[in-house]
Amino acid sequence: MNPVLFFSALLNGTVTGMIYAMLGLGISIIVGLLYVPNFAHGALFALGGYTLVASISTPLGFWGGVLLAGIVVTGLGSVIEMTGIRRLYYVERYYKLLFTFGLALVLREVIILIWGPVGKTVQPPEFLRGVVDLGILPYPKYRLVIMIVTSVLVFATYWFIEKTRYGAIIRAGIEDQDMVSALGINIRRVFNIAFAAGAGLAGLGGALIAPVRGLLPDLGILILPYAFVVVIVGGLGSLPGAIVGGLLVGLVQAFVTMIWAPGADAAVFAIASLVLLIRPQGLMGKS
Amino acid sequence: MTTWKRRTVVQGLTVGAAAASTTLWIPSRTRAQSEEISLLGIMPFTGPLADAGPNMDLGIQYAIEEFGGEVIGLPIKYVTRDSETKADIAARRTEEAIDTDGSQFVVGPWSSGVALAVSEVAKRRKVLHYFSGGTEEIAGGRCHRYSFQWAASPYTAMHVVMDEFLKANPEAKRWYLFVSDYSFGWSVQKYLEIAGEKQGVEFVGVDRVALGTSEWSNFITKALAAEPDAIGMLAAGNDAILAIREAYNFGLAPEVPIVTGWGLATEDFLQLDATTRENYWHGTNAYYTADTPVAKAFAEGYEEQHGVPPGYAATAAYSMTRIILRAIERADSTEVQDVVLAMEDWETEDWPGKIYIRPDTHQTVRDYFFLECKPESEMAFDTDFARVVAVSSEPQMPDEFNECEGIGEL
Repeated sequence: MNPVLFFSALLNGTVTGMIYAMLGLGISIIVGLLYVPNFAHGALFALGGYTLVASISTPLGFWGGVLLAGIVVTGLGSVIEMTGIRRLYYVERYYKLLFTFGLALVLREVIILIWGPVGKTVQPPEFLRGVVDLGILPYPKYRLVIMIVTSVLVFATYWFIEKTRYGAIIRAGIEDQDMVSALGINIRRVFNIAFAAGAGLAGLGGALIAPVRGLLPDLGILILPYAFVVVIVGGLGSLPGAIVGGLLVGLVQAFVTMIWAPGADAAVFAIASLVLLIRPQGLMGKS
Repeated sequence: MTTWKRRTVVQGLTVGAAAASTTLWIPSRTRAQSEEISLLGIMPFTGPLADAGPNMDLGIQYAIEEFGGEVIGLPIKYVTRDSETKADIAARRTEEAIDTDGSQFVVGPWSSGVALAVSEVAKRRKVLHYFSGGTEEIAGGRCHRYSFQWAASPYTAMHVVMDEFLKANPEAKRWYLFVSDYSFGWSVQKYLEIAGEKQGVEFVGVDRVALGTSEWSNFITKALAAEPDAIGMLAAGNDAILAIREAYNFGLAPEVPIVTGWGLATEDFLQLDATTRENYWHGTNAYYTADTPVAKAFAEGYEEQHGVPPGYAATAAYSMTRIILRAIERADSTEVQDVVLAMEDWETEDWPGKIYIRPDTHQTVRDYFFLECKPESEMAFDTDFARVVAVSSEPQMPDEFNECEGIGEL
């Protein structure tokens, strides 16, 4: 592989990987607490993008729209937890799974009702359009910004969970909910904040990726399998695993495309299968 | 739990057997002349081409409404099934519609690979199947008496695209291709390369891409490194849209023209903004400004109903349904075999203008469209997306390329 292709695969893989990591982090936080994959996570991701579309032509502009997407989807996550998920904590986990699956379909239909079935193109701010010459290759300015912004968001989330008192409570909740409750901590509030934060990360991710991939109602359905691969590879409920898994999936997809394009997606799912066979708890998950 | 009495079971079996024997006794022609025309629309409402399904549905409904909901005095019963762009599911649901709804006429699906599976069902169950898509197999290697192809032959289409593009861009001789990795992509790639080689085009790179690919950045950087004069986009639907957006993000477009060989036109244009449509060329089977009486009336009526001009999916479904219903009138029969015979060797006017349905391959001979998107400054109104560069049904596929070795018996 020539150096230009190698370097571009590295950059493309990292950008895509950081988006996957954001999705994976959100899913991991929720999986850790609810013990079920959130099938509505992709739809929340898409909703973030559409919130940006709705606000981009208002005085909020692009970055205000991205922020609003994060806030709106965080709020929606909180409402979903309070009105739906909370009622299902103490029943079979399949009910939660079915609930989130149904919710994904409802959100997709809501998107179609509000924004229509036809896809939308979103342009980044004027100064971020076009490419910048990195010496070895020209690269889209906006992609470089995504790499920086998502890295900051991912590592800030990781820092919050690992280094703050509230993060410690969430981690404790993931480990042993009963013990956290016994210590007098309102575990329901923890659940609510964690679910909302996970949803918010998805919303921010969806808004940030909108200028790259555009938007369509099925965006959530298309991205969800990759997000699940990330948490399978990284380890269910493992936050560092979500980051490692996201980057690994993004880089594998990028490099396999360069070598053997038709096998790019197959390679991603092959890795997930391999991890499940050799290390079912994921690369950084606990057995 | 239900308890079955032996007498009830015996009575049920007796009634069932009597009903079955009565049905068997009725001569086939009398049985086929049903009291309604049962039409199945098999189309993707979910899956990677889900944007096409609802539009196809609207097109079929429009054609049925145009006939007042009946043909030769019989009501049209229209049912739909979701193909999900999965061959096994589409085939199973088509069988199920034939069994439960008595479907005799099938329009769709949308993907070539899926259509081949539905075509096999049509052959086995002897129902008339009309499809529009890029695979050459329906009117080629897997031709039979019950399946018809509405879209132009990929040979014709790719020659129109290559020849007309090179007329406008004679220096663009280095092409990089993105090809959907299934029967649609393989067919159009084969003929675009044949058309290109005749004109001295060098194909500096080809990437076959899985259907539903969402991450295009790596493909685009590969293409950038090859420094092509033009990008041949032989992917369709959302895949192509994502690729075009990424090409624009990476600065490949509009510097390098993108040429979609076989696109949806209106549906595609609606998803891109004027900036990303710059220097974008597009081959298609249907564009709403087609200058034929049927096309004009359809575009006007459809836009009035839905607020947007009809795209390829709606148009193809409309025209296929319309042709089937007209063939039923022509045959003055609801029997599938009579309608097949009425469609064969038929020269008529429909949405594409003058069409001819070949009896030996079931290929609909018709015009193909080649478009160039307009810059925003030249658009007279919101949906004034493109100018028609060429409309042609030539060259037709030479016989040596057609693998249909005999259309078979009814």
